[in-house]
Amino acid sequence: MIKNKLAKVVFGSTFLTAVMVPAMAMAAEGGTSVADLDPAVGVAKYAAAGASMCIAAMSAAYAQSRIGAAGAGTLAERPEAGTTLIVLMALPEVIVLLGFVIAFMIQA
Amino acid sequence: MSTAPTETTRRVGSRGRDYGYSNARIRGMRSRLLKQAFFDDLMTAPDIGAVIHKIMDTEYGPDLEDRILHGRTAAQVDEALKDNMVRTFAKVMSVSNDEARRLLTTLLGRWDLFNIKTIIRGKHMSFPDEVIIDSLITVGQLTQVDAEELAKQESVKSVVDTLATWGLPFAVPLREVLPDYNENADLSVLELALDRYYYEWATKRLKGRRANTRLARTFLSIQVDTLNLLTCLRLLSSDLPPEDVLRFYLPGGDRVTEELFASLSAMSDVDEVFQRLKRTQFGSILEQVAITYIEKGSISVFERALEDYLFRKAFATSKGDPLGIGISISYLWAKANEATNMRIVVKGIAVGMPVERMREELIVV
Repeated sequence: MIKNKLAKVVFGSTFLTAVMVPAMAMAAEGGTSVADLDPAVGVAKYAAAGASMCIAAMSAAYAQSRIGAAGAGTLAERPEAGTTLIVLMALPEVIVLLGFVIAFMIQA
Repeated sequence: MSTAPTETTRRVGSRGRDYGYSNARIRGMRSRLLKQAFFDDLMTAPDIGAVIHKIMDTEYGPDLEDRILHGRTAAQVDEALKDNMVRTFAKVMSVSNDEARRLLTTLLGRWDLFNIKTIIRGKHMSFPDEVIIDSLITVGQLTQVDAEELAKQESVKSVVDTLATWGLPFAVPLREVLPDYNENADLSVLELALDRYYYEWATKRLKGRRANTRLARTFLSIQVDTLNLLTCLRLLSSDLPPEDVLRFYLPGGDRVTEELFASLSAMSDVDEVFQRLKRTQFGSILEQVAITYIEKGSISVFERALEDYLFRKAFATSKGDPLGIGISISYLWAKANEATNMRIVVKGIAVGMPVERMREELIVV
């Protein structure tokens, strides 16, 4: 039950950061040029970019912790599966990359 | 019953309920279980020397290496197989998380029950200590040293007293019925008290709504059901009055209720029992071996069929949640099955049993 709740919180936060926060920042920006921006909007954009990167990294860390634990167990019994495990460990990094791209888009 | 963990292996399992690490390790261990082709090959071995050579390349190799220093005999191979089983069970416990350890300790209590019953039977029949010790498989909470100490006691009474001195809970039911045993020298009184105590204890310990606890409880109830059904079949020709029959009923089952148990036990023959159980899950099991029963006329046919059914149910527990207790239960029962099959083949070859006869004895699920 706790695991499910944690997964929901992580997924919800990631969704919020990836979709809602950039949308809100862009809405606040409106049609004005960067030079005309309200300083508060600039701060919001930095915060949104930071949150995007942070939550994506935390999500990847959570996924890697689970894969890592299972991977350590597999390696202890079947060392020949090492190469496959490195690939599995690297997969959640995609989440961080997505967070980074979103952060970059918010800033641009 | 003691809940202290088995400290034969250093504990590496995680706290709480994280099954990722333990289940990955157990799956890795499961991949090394011996395949049917290996048994087919092993059964064709000409002598025990060839058997040792073949087993040396498997998981049993290190245990066998230690044992054959004392002689290249079937008895030493048998000891090595038991050593491996004990070591493997301890390893599973050491990698398991807190919840899995609690559930597995409860389910493996049946091995403690088996060991104590074996010791008591041995003492009742005045078997030599060595014979009793050879029959023990200490994969539960009772260690090999404890079990050997119990086996070296002089009588049933001293076994019970030793259990009580150590503060082991199995002493409680035994002390209650010891006066009855002393009066009638009826071994079934002691065995029944032990069975009843263990299954009541285990059922209480497996109460809870978590999926893993429910799975362990369901598996325990299947064990109780098969035991009750087997008792019914044994009681068919006993002519005991209904109130006496219910003394043999074990609590904790799911399908075989007290009423069903009483009505089955009151039946006159196996055909009637078969008709009554036809539409239950046990119907098909009994039907499969009905012809063999007619040929052999022995209840042991049903005993074997129900044992196979229990193994099938144990293996099926792994088909649910990949991050649940089912993986451990399935592996432990598969390992026990493998060790039993290996012992059958080793003993079969030692006494020159034909391959077909050995094949019949193997539990292939």
